[in-house]
Amino acid sequence: MHPGRQLGVLGLVFVVLYLLVFFAGGASGSFTDRLHPKLGLDLVGGTQATYIASVQGGQDPSKESMEQARTIIENRVNALGVSEAEVVIQGTRNIVVSLAGKSDDQLKDLATAAQMRFRLLVGVTGDVAESAMNPSTATPSASAAPSTSSSAKPSTSASAPVANASPSSGGQGGGEVVKAPSPSTPPSTSASPTATATPAPGSTAAVPGQEQVTAAEVQKKVGATAWAAAQKLTAPVDLSTDAKAGLAYSPFGKLTGPEVNALTPDMQFNIPTISCKQLDDRPNGAIDNVDTKVAACYNGAKIMLDKAPVVGDDISKASAQLDSQNGQWVVSLDFKSEGQTKWANLTRQAFQATSADPCYVAAQTLYSSIEHCAVAVVLDKNVISAPQIQGVLTSTSQITGSFTAVSAKQLADQLNFGAIPVTFTSGPAQTVSATLGIQQLKAGLLAAAIGMALVAVYAFFYYRLLGSVIFLSLILSGLLTFGALVFLGRTVGFTLTLAGIAGFIVSLGVAADSFVIYFERLKDEIHEGRSPRSAVPRAWARARRTIISANTITIMAAVVLYIVSIGAVQGFAFALGLSTVLDLLVVFLFRHPIMTMFANTKAFLSPRVSGLGRVLRRAQTDVKEA
Amino acid sequence: MARNGLADRLYQGEANINIIGRRKTWFIVAAVLVLISIGSFAFKGFELGIEFAGGTSFSVPAQTASGQELTQDQVSEGVDRAIKTVDPAAEIGAVQQVRSTGGGDAYFTVRAPDLTAAQAETAKAALVADLGVKAEDVSDDRVSAAWGGQVTKQAIIGLVVFLILVMAYLVVRFEWRMAVAALSSLLLDLLLTAGVYSLVGFEVTPSTVIGFLTILGYSLYDVVVVFDKVQENTRGITASSIRTYSEATNLAVNQTLMRSINTGLVALLPVGGLLFIGAGLLGAGTLKDLGLVLFVGMGFGVISSIMFAAPVLSALKDQEPKIKAHTARVLARRAAVRSGDVAPRAERQRQPNATDSDEAPALAASSPRPGARPTAKRNTNRSGRPGGAGPRPSGGTKRR
Repeated sequence: MHPGRQLGVLGLVFVVLYLLVFFAGGASGSFTDRLHPKLGLDLVGGTQATYIASVQGGQDPSKESMEQARTIIENRVNALGVSEAEVVIQGTRNIVVSLAGKSDDQLKDLATAAQMRFRLLVGVTGDVAESAMNPSTATPSASAAPSTSSSAKPSTSASAPVANASPSSGGQGGGEVVKAPSPSTPPSTSASPTATATPAPGSTAAVPGQEQVTAAEVQKKVGATAWAAAQKLTAPVDLSTDAKAGLAYSPFGKLTGPEVNALTPDMQFNIPTISCKQLDDRPNGAIDNVDTKVAACYNGAKIMLDKAPVVGDDISKASAQLDSQNGQWVVSLDFKSEGQTKWANLTRQAFQATSADPCYVAAQTLYSSIEHCAVAVVLDKNVISAPQIQGVLTSTSQITGSFTAVSAKQLADQLNFGAIPVTFTSGPAQTVSATLGIQQLKAGLLAAAIGMALVAVYAFFYYRLLGSVIFLSLILSGLLTFGALVFLGRTVGFTLTLAGIAGFIVSLGVAADSFVIYFERLKDEIHEGRSPRSAVPRAWARARRTIISANTITIMAAVVLYIVSIGAVQGFAFALGLSTVLDLLVVFLFRHPIMTMFANTKAFLSPRVSGLGRVLRRAQTDVKEA
Repeated sequence: MARNGLADRLYQGEANINIIGRRKTWFIVAAVLVLISIGSFAFKGFELGIEFAGGTSFSVPAQTASGQELTQDQVSEGVDRAIKTVDPAAEIGAVQQVRSTGGGDAYFTVRAPDLTAAQAETAKAALVADLGVKAEDVSDDRVSAAWGGQVTKQAIIGLVVFLILVMAYLVVRFEWRMAVAALSSLLLDLLLTAGVYSLVGFEVTPSTVIGFLTILGYSLYDVVVVFDKVQENTRGITASSIRTYSEATNLAVNQTLMRSINTGLVALLPVGGLLFIGAGLLGAGTLKDLGLVLFVGMGFGVISSIMFAAPVLSALKDQEPKIKAHTARVLARRAAVRSGDVAPRAERQRQPNATDSDEAPALAASSPRPGARPTAKRNTNRSGRPGGAGPRPSGGTKRR
C-alpha cells in the first residue's frame, strides 16, 4: 500500500475518534468539558451508599453471607461498566459501596436481594379500595366495593397437589381447601388447618427482625372478634356481592406491612380488608420462603401463589434479549440440568391442568381467555409477570414483562450473579472526597512527562533523527489514548484511576519497544549491505512478524483477563488491551509509512542525521574490504 | 572504526557473549533464587495492604470541638500520628471526606491497618488529644478487604486460562520446546518478583497486583522477540554443519541483546520516572507501588529472557535426537578441521570473550566465529564477529 494512503487512514481514525469525543456518546457542556476523561474515586471522589443488613432472629448475619453479599454487590456494580468501584463490609452489618462521580442512580438498586421464585398461580381475589380499607365509621360505606382492575369475582383459594378438589380433601397442611361454590356463602364446614393462631413458621423465618411482629401482637391489635372471624376464613371474602362482608375484618385494614406479614399467607389472601398496598409494605424477603404458599399482588389483584419448586439458583444463565416479534425486551433463561427438570415439571403441571384445577380457575379469573394455568415469576417482593404456560418448557425460556433495555439487563445480571442471602435496607447516599486528589494526579502526570522526556532523549541520542519518528509516534499514541479514554469513559464508564494513568504511561514506554525491534532489524539489513530503500521493506516484513506475535500474546492476556476476572483486574485488562491495539495502530499506520517515505530521502543516508549512519558506513567499508 | 569497545560491539549486535554455554551457571543461579523466594513465601509471607487484609476505619468529624474546620491533610496526618503511637510500623490508607447529600455534618474516614480493640481505643484517645475533636464523634469500625477473595480467585483463573492459551499459541507459532522455555521464564520472573516483595517486605496493594500483571505481558513479549530470532537463525540448521543449535541460539541472543537492552531501558525510563516521583516526592502511594513492582519485574524480565529462556530452550533442544545428532556431526567435523589445522590458534583467540574452562563441552573449543575458519582474518580484534567476514548474506549467517 502506498505510504500516503496509510497515513490517510490514520488521519481518518484520528478525525473519527475526536468527532466521537466531541459529539457522540452523550457529550455535553463546553468545549473543554467534553475533553475530560472519567476520573476515578481516588482522584475526584464520588458517591457512597451504605446498605444495612437486616438482623435475622436477633443475630447479625454470618460473616460468610456478608462476604457473599459483598461479592454479589460488587459484581453488580462492575456490570455497570469498568468503573473501579469499591465495595467493603464495614462493621458486621454494613456494606459500603463507593462509585466515582455523581452516581446516586446507579447505587439505588444494588442491594436488592434478587431472590427469584417461580410459583404456580392458584388463587385470585380483588384488591380492596383505599376507602374500604379505612372505614372511619362503623357503617361501611356502600361504595366499599373493591375496585379491582381485573375481575372482581374472586375464585377459590386452592392448592396445587390438587387434581381432586372435593371438599373432603381438606386437612392437608397448607394444601387443604374446598372449592367454594359461591363466596357469599362462606363454607363453614371445614376450617383450614393452617389458619390457626400460630402463624406458619415458614413465612416469618425470612422476615427481618428489627420490625418483627408476632401473630399474637397482631391478634391483640385487631381484637379477638376480628381475629376469630379471620380465622374462620377459608376462601377470600367477596366484597362485590356483599359490601358489608368486609366490616368484620376492618381492623386488619389498619395493619402495617410487617404486621400483615405476621399473618399466615392464607389470612393475608382471604381477609378482604388487607390491601395490595399493605402487602407491598411487607418487609423485604417476606415472600421468599420456597416451602409455603404466599400472597402477593399482580395487576391490581391479590393473588395466591403456590410453593416455589423452581428458584433463581436453578438458572444457569440469563440474558436480556429483544424479542424480534413484538419488539419487547425479554429476559431469556437457561436452566441448570436439575433446574430444567424442575422447570419442566412445573410447566407440565400448569400446561396439563384441567378446568377443574384451582390454578385453572385462578388463571381464568385473571385472564379473559385461558387454556392453561399461569406461573408467576416473583422477584423479591414483586411479581414480574404471570404468563400462561403454553407448553411443557424443556429448553430455554423467556420472562416477559414490561422491561426496558436497562431493566432487562439489570434483571439478567442479577440472576446471573445470584441472589444475595441477606436482606438490606439502604442508607442515604453520601458524597465522598478524593482520597488522593489533584496533587497526586499532577505528580503522576509530571512523572509521565519526565519519563517521556527521558525516552525521547534516549531515542535521539541513539537513533538521531529517527528518534523524531519515535517521539512523534509517542505523541500520537498519547493523543489517541487520551481520545479513546474520554470516549470510553462516557460510553462504557471506563474510569481512570491513578494506577490506570500510571499504567498507560508505562504502556507508552513499552510501545516504544516495537520501534526498537524495527530499527534494530533495519540496522541489520543495512549492515548486510542493503541500500536503505530496499532495507526498509525487508526490515518491515520481518519486524512485523515479531511485533504481531508479541502483541498477539498481550492482546490474548487482555481478552482472557477481561472475560474471566472481575473488579480492578478487569479494569486493568481493558486498559492493557486498549493500549496494545492503539500501539498496533500506530505501528502500522504511522511508523511504517513514515519510514518508507524517510528512506527515500538523502538525509536518511547521512550518519549525522540518521542513527543508522554508523552501520551504513561500516557496511560500505565491509564491502570494500571484501 | 578501529574502536571496538563493548558498547560498539553491542551496537553492532556482535557482543558475542557466551550466554548459552554458561547455561548451567544460570540454571544454578535461577534455582537458588527460586528456592530463596519460595522459602521466603513459606516463612515470611507477604505484607498485605489494607485493601487485601481489611483493617480499621476511623471516622473523624470535620470540625474540632472549638468549631474549626479540619483539612484532609490535617486529619490524615493526625490519624497517622495516632496510629503510630500504638503500632510504629503501621501506615494509614485512604482518607476521604464524607458528606451526606441531604446535608448534615461532614466527617472524614481514614483506613488504618487492623488494630485490636485496645489499640484502637489508645489511638482514638491520641487522636482526640491531637486534633481537638470531640471524643464521642470519633468512632472506629472494622472494614473488610475491598479486594475480595473473589477478585483474586477470578484473576488466578484468568491467569491459568491465559497460560494454557498462550502455551497453545506458542506451540503453534513456534514449537513446544520454545513454549515450555518461554513459560518457565515467565514463571521465573513472577516468582522472583514476588520473592523480592516477600523478602524485602514491600507492602502488597492492588496497584502492586496490577503492576504484577503488566509484567506478565511484558516478559512474554521479550521472550517472543528473542525466540523469533532463534527460530530464524536455526531454520534448516540441520542441513549444514557450520554451527550447533546452541551456538545458533547464542548468536540470536547476541543479535537481540542490543534490542533487549534498548527496550529494557526505554521501558524502564518512564517507570523510573514514576518511581522517582512516587517515592521521592510523594512518599508512599499508588505511584510508588506501581513503579516499584514494574521496575523489579521488568528488570527480571529483560534478564531472564536472555539468561534463562534461551538457555532452557537450548537445553531442551539438545535432548531432541535430531539436534543431538546434528551437534555431534558439527563437533566431529570441527574436530577434524582442527586436528589438521589451526586448533591452538582458535583456542587462544577466543580468550578475550570466551569463558573459563568450565563451559559445556559442546562449546569448549568450538565457537565457530573465532577464526576457526581461515577466512576470518579481516580484523583481529573483531574476530568475535558472528558469521565470519565479508558481506553478510550467506545461508547460515543470515539475519532475521
